[in-house]
Amino acid sequence: MLRYVIKKIAYGFTVLVAVVALVFLLIQGLGDPARLTQGQRTDIATMEAVRKDLGLDLPLGVRLLHYLNDVSPISIYQDTPENKSEYRYSKILPLGDRALVFKTPYLGRSYQSKKRVTEILREALPQTIILGLSAIIFATIFGILLGVWAAMRQFSFTDSSILVGSILGISQPSYFSGMILALVFGYWLRDYTGLNYTGDLFSTDMYGDPITQWKNLILPTIALGIRPLAIIVQLTRSTMLETLSQDYIRTAKAKGVSNRIVVLKHALRNALNPVVTAISGWLAAILAGAYFIEIVFDFKGLGYETINALNNLDLPVAMGSILFAAVLFVSINILVDVLYGWLDPRVSYD
Amino acid sequence: MNYKFSIRSLAIIAGVCCFLCLLACGGEGTKEQGGSKTDKRYFRYNQASGISSLDPAFAKDQANIWAVNQLFNGLVQMDDELNILPAIAKSWTINSDGLTYTFVIRDDVHFHDHELFPDGKGTKVTAHDVEYSFKRLVDPLTASSGSWLFNDRIADKDPFVALNDSIFQMKLKEAFRPMLGILSMQYCSIVPERIVKNYGKEFRANPIGTGPFAFKKWDEGKVLVLTKNDNYFEKDAAGQSLPYMDGVSISFMENKRNAFLKFKDGELDMLSGIDASYKDEVLTGEGALHPDLSAAKQLLRSPYMNTEYLGFSMRGNLPKAYQDKRVRQAINHAFDREKMIRYLRNNIGKPAHSGFTPPGFPSFNEQLVPGFKFNLDKAKGLLKEAGYPDGKGLPTLKLETTSSYQDVCTFFQNQLKDIGVPIELEIHPPSFLRNKIAKGESAFFRGSWIGDYPDAETYLTVFYGGNPAPPNYTQFKNKRYDDFYAKALATNKDESRYQLYQEMERTLLAEAPIIPLFYDEVLRFTGKDVEGLGVNAFNLLSLKKVKFK
Repeated sequence: MLRYVIKKIAYGFTVLVAVVALVFLLIQGLGDPARLTQGQRTDIATMEAVRKDLGLDLPLGVRLLHYLNDVSPISIYQDTPENKSEYRYSKILPLGDRALVFKTPYLGRSYQSKKRVTEILREALPQTIILGLSAIIFATIFGILLGVWAAMRQFSFTDSSILVGSILGISQPSYFSGMILALVFGYWLRDYTGLNYTGDLFSTDMYGDPITQWKNLILPTIALGIRPLAIIVQLTRSTMLETLSQDYIRTAKAKGVSNRIVVLKHALRNALNPVVTAISGWLAAILAGAYFIEIVFDFKGLGYETINALNNLDLPVAMGSILFAAVLFVSINILVDVLYGWLDPRVSYD
Repeated sequence: MNYKFSIRSLAIIAGVCCFLCLLACGGEGTKEQGGSKTDKRYFRYNQASGISSLDPAFAKDQANIWAVNQLFNGLVQMDDELNILPAIAKSWTINSDGLTYTFVIRDDVHFHDHELFPDGKGTKVTAHDVEYSFKRLVDPLTASSGSWLFNDRIADKDPFVALNDSIFQMKLKEAFRPMLGILSMQYCSIVPERIVKNYGKEFRANPIGTGPFAFKKWDEGKVLVLTKNDNYFEKDAAGQSLPYMDGVSISFMENKRNAFLKFKDGELDMLSGIDASYKDEVLTGEGALHPDLSAAKQLLRSPYMNTEYLGFSMRGNLPKAYQDKRVRQAINHAFDREKMIRYLRNNIGKPAHSGFTPPGFPSFNEQLVPGFKFNLDKAKGLLKEAGYPDGKGLPTLKLETTSSYQDVCTFFQNQLKDIGVPIELEIHPPSFLRNKIAKGESAFFRGSWIGDYPDAETYLTVFYGGNPAPPNYTQFKNKRYDDFYAKALATNKDESRYQLYQEMERTLLAEAPIIPLFYDEVLRFTGKDVEGLGVNAFNLLSLKKVKFK
């Protein structure tokens, strides 16, 4: 088991290093980030000072090595007070004027704002995760309910409406349904719904005191959840129909068990197995979908930061958030694999 | 399928969810307890593009400049009529050779309070603070985006010296008339050395200045709150201390349409400029305030020191046919600027029927600098003269732009069809196009130029042959123009300098490296209860004299 976990982690680690190197090299071709930190007017001396400050005067390979050194928890730095306060490390082993140090990964500072990337990510993360979780909860609850309802009235008008609706749901990209939802409920029907056209979950009042606006989570949740919901509806409906045709259901009915009990106790529990398995596989995909929804709803999460950073060629922020998303995906995958194995003895570790 | 397996799967989901929740909670740890609510009324506006830094050394764009202008002061300041007035300096003298500037510093200006000051009280601003602030701006280690202001202009030896606590002296290499205008820019704000040294790069989020409002809180991407500086040194005409308002609250909704809705609902006190997403809901076709809004809102407008243009790269990557200035002149004459203003811009802005410098500068004169007016016959004549009658033989010209100007460029493209000039549009993301233009890789592009200081030199420098790509994006090089430029900078008498400026404009238009499109306007919509908010040609926001009715 332990060997299996270590192997998985080593594999994940390789993926991460590859992601860092690939994204780092790809992003370089987009243009000159130093230029974008300037106003409309500048001169050569100013640009040179900025390039030096951002470390862009070094060759590409050296920059990549520096980045890897920065990200790695165990790394080597020149042991100066400035470095110590910037990287916040603790020394393990002095090596002349350098030192082998231990630290939390350092992702640099934003080119645009000079803010620490880790701080930017830490502030953006809760929004994305809450959005992702609420979307999956919304999709699961309503998807199963609608699916069961449709299965119980197979070939009725209700069934066909739910089916058509779910096909519509699957066929729309989430950012499209996001825009439609914002327009209809956040603008045309604004006076009745009281919802905002766009808006953030964690916000502040005009004096700067934090307020949490849960209502701003409603439309993004629906927009993000609508595709998984549609898939869950169809999956639940078909497995439900299959289960309802099983012999033991007929037996239960023959014994005089009420229809409600048959459906909820006997059929649904078994029908849910494939549904639940499917949902656990989508968690990561939901987080990816959140990126687009965040842009549509001005929801300042990870996706919002990533796309803004790419627009401004703010490489440290873009790299940091892509790397972070990769870490998230890899660790969720490892976690799911390990939990599967732990819970189901049939899964082999070899 | 067995029943137990379902519980297992649920456990997996629960496990992953818990993991995610842990991550989410880890990020929330910084929430601080809010202060008590009061009935204080703050001035609220939205900054869609976000603020990247509150450090004056990085006051590079309008968003940063507006915030910095509430927090800091410079030696001098500019009023809404673009006059240079005293601020931290109460008076100044310029030597007759124009090389030495001597400023007398007020002795009643204090920095905002901060725990690092003795007893937590803001110290008095001295000439040494001025010296430190300017030296910091030009220090390559600061890597300020504003060091170009002084590079190549200040004396090599001791350019900034505090002679004592109240006298500050600045020395230039060569006389440069617009220097006082430059000193009124927010880059040249006075900062306290003790605080800057303590915070280093984090001064961006811990600004301490002397301005009418003091920093309270910045929740990035959410809100920036500034509160009244009770010790502010400026007073109004009646002797009452400024500012009047309790504070300023800036939100950061990126969606401009949403900001418009909030403004309409009275949740924002000001809306700046127009955006395609709400243009027709705030303005009538003639450019007046929309009747739906006129009961509760008002519109302030002023000419804006912003010229929108299309530029040709003169570096040689332009197709050969377009290197002939007659062809470029023909294109200039074939474009109906008045129609564009009326139909695409709801009558906001003025058609650019003169040179590059917009109205508002004293040297602007439509009679003395006649620009290109819509004249199809003249355009066709010029094309024929150049050997391309009705555009025969002209290769397709690629116009590179961003999506926000697609409407104007498409209109241009259609108009040019009338004289047979084939135009093709290429839409780029703003950052990509900016890089491309700066590198001179774009042969024909859309650009805009916003004046930095109140002297037409800020426009004419864009075509000075000695300048590299920013600001000389077209790589225009013309001996006659450059000679006039050098002469104008050394001329102290305003009238003769303006004549030289006009001479330069005429030279520029004759060569036609650009197609001036329009001179922009500043628009500010406010609630009717807002009083004292001016509007000026630099679109600078000054809130110290604003009050609520």
